[in-house]
Amino acid sequence: MPDTGVIHDIGYQRYEGPRLGRGYAARSLYVHGIRSAYGLGRSAWAKVLPMGVLAFASMASLILVVINTQLPTQVIDYVGIASTFTYAATVFVAVVAPELVSVDLRSNLLQLYLSRPLRKSDYALTKLASLATATFLLFAIPMLIMFLGMAFNTDSGIGGVLDEVGGFAQGLVAAAIHAALLSALGLPLASLSGRRVFASGMIIALFLLTTPISGALQAFGNGALADLGGLMDPSSLLNGVDQWLFGPGIGIVRTGDFGAVYGLVTVALIALGTYLLVLRYKKVKS
Amino acid sequence: MNLTIMSLTARAMLGRKRVLMLLPMPIILIGLTLIGVTSGASDAQWGPVVFSSLGISVILPLTALIIGSSALGLEIDDGTITHLLTKPLPRSEIVLSKLAVAWLVTAVATGVPLAAAALIAGSGTLAVGLVIGAAIGGLAYSALFLALSVMTKRPVAVGLVYIVLWENILVSYVSGTRIFSVRQHATAIADSIGNTQLIDASVSVTTALVMAVIFIVVGTVGATQRLRSFALTGDAN
Repeated sequence: MPDTGVIHDIGYQRYEGPRLGRGYAARSLYVHGIRSAYGLGRSAWAKVLPMGVLAFASMASLILVVINTQLPTQVIDYVGIASTFTYAATVFVAVVAPELVSVDLRSNLLQLYLSRPLRKSDYALTKLASLATATFLLFAIPMLIMFLGMAFNTDSGIGGVLDEVGGFAQGLVAAAIHAALLSALGLPLASLSGRRVFASGMIIALFLLTTPISGALQAFGNGALADLGGLMDPSSLLNGVDQWLFGPGIGIVRTGDFGAVYGLVTVALIALGTYLLVLRYKKVKS
Repeated sequence: MNLTIMSLTARAMLGRKRVLMLLPMPIILIGLTLIGVTSGASDAQWGPVVFSSLGISVILPLTALIIGSSALGLEIDDGTITHLLTKPLPRSEIVLSKLAVAWLVTAVATGVPLAAAALIAGSGTLAVGLVIGAAIGGLAYSALFLALSVMTKRPVAVGLVYIVLWENILVSYVSGTRIFSVRQHATAIADSIGNTQLIDASVSVTTALVMAVIFIVVGTVGATQRLRSFALTGDAN
């Protein structure tokens, strides 16, 4: 009886070709994240909701172009679009964020990702970036439609077009802020649960439950308390930032003289959400 | 009704850590009621904000969405629904048992805090009205979301669109759509019994009751019919 087995060298070779590395893996994951946010490359049912919200927003913006060009004064500007569509964007985040992280948790895909050069924090930040980009597109595409409509309708030649470019740029900045805050609040919550039901529930609970709180504070608080009431919920907070940065186009929120506070709180919340997300993935076993 | 299915569903729903998710909502409700009572504002000023905008418009649908779509949805997700479907039970019995548990949990989780808030506000009749409104509205919501969880792979996504885009946005622009809004039915029922300044409804009670019954019947029958020809497919991501 032979005492031990032997592994014969039948010419095993090492891989010596180029290795694409961490950056490539992160980029691939980022693109994949944006695609899966809109259901591209997935079943038709996965496309219905994100595409539906986008189509709804684009149609609304088309209608707004018609109203804007027919009436003597502009009823809504680019920043106004960002403020008005925040509500639809919260639904979008609540549906898409679990799609990005909960499915990976539930089907134990995370270990596979982490066996690549990708680090845990890369995974977290990449997912956050894809959610933020997808949400940004939800604002930016309707704004682009409005820009095209308004630019072709302008009566004052190239000067009118340049005015529209300025407004469009302001709108994109507002869209970026909205997308960053909503994703930084939504994704850490989604990453707590592997079930889409509960992940979506937690996110929408955060957005919906806080609205009446700030509404109540603004309705029956007084003075500074009422001015700061808008800090309590994400959509009033974002509208407050819009008003602070781009002037009172549409005064939805009472901010008083505290515009800068709204800006600071937004930045702090984005940083906090990102930090918590990275922290949450630090604990994952790989 | 089948007691075994009911107890298994209740255990799956309440026996885990995630039941704690329901805790923040009553705390916020009671907290805002206390602020409202002590702020010195008139009843008509703060009451509707707390009882309609928060209580019946957010807490009731959200609780029903989470509970209603997980009652049967979790089993479909996990594939354990096959065990239920292979038992010699009428499909209507499965649906009714699941619906009963979802309804009981929703009604208790929303009715009790709402009643407590109404009592703090000093209106006993409103407490009764809110409990009955939450019970009827909760049943209609549960039936709707239960049916959604059998009909689509993404019940929560569709449910969220209904709650946020239909009931919140569309109803505030196109007032006719409010007769298809369960929260308006619940508000109307609570208002007609409570009869105080603390809450105000925009549809009549008769319409509300009729529409709520339609929601309940259509949801239950729809879910049963769909479960009769149910095909278990893979997880379609």
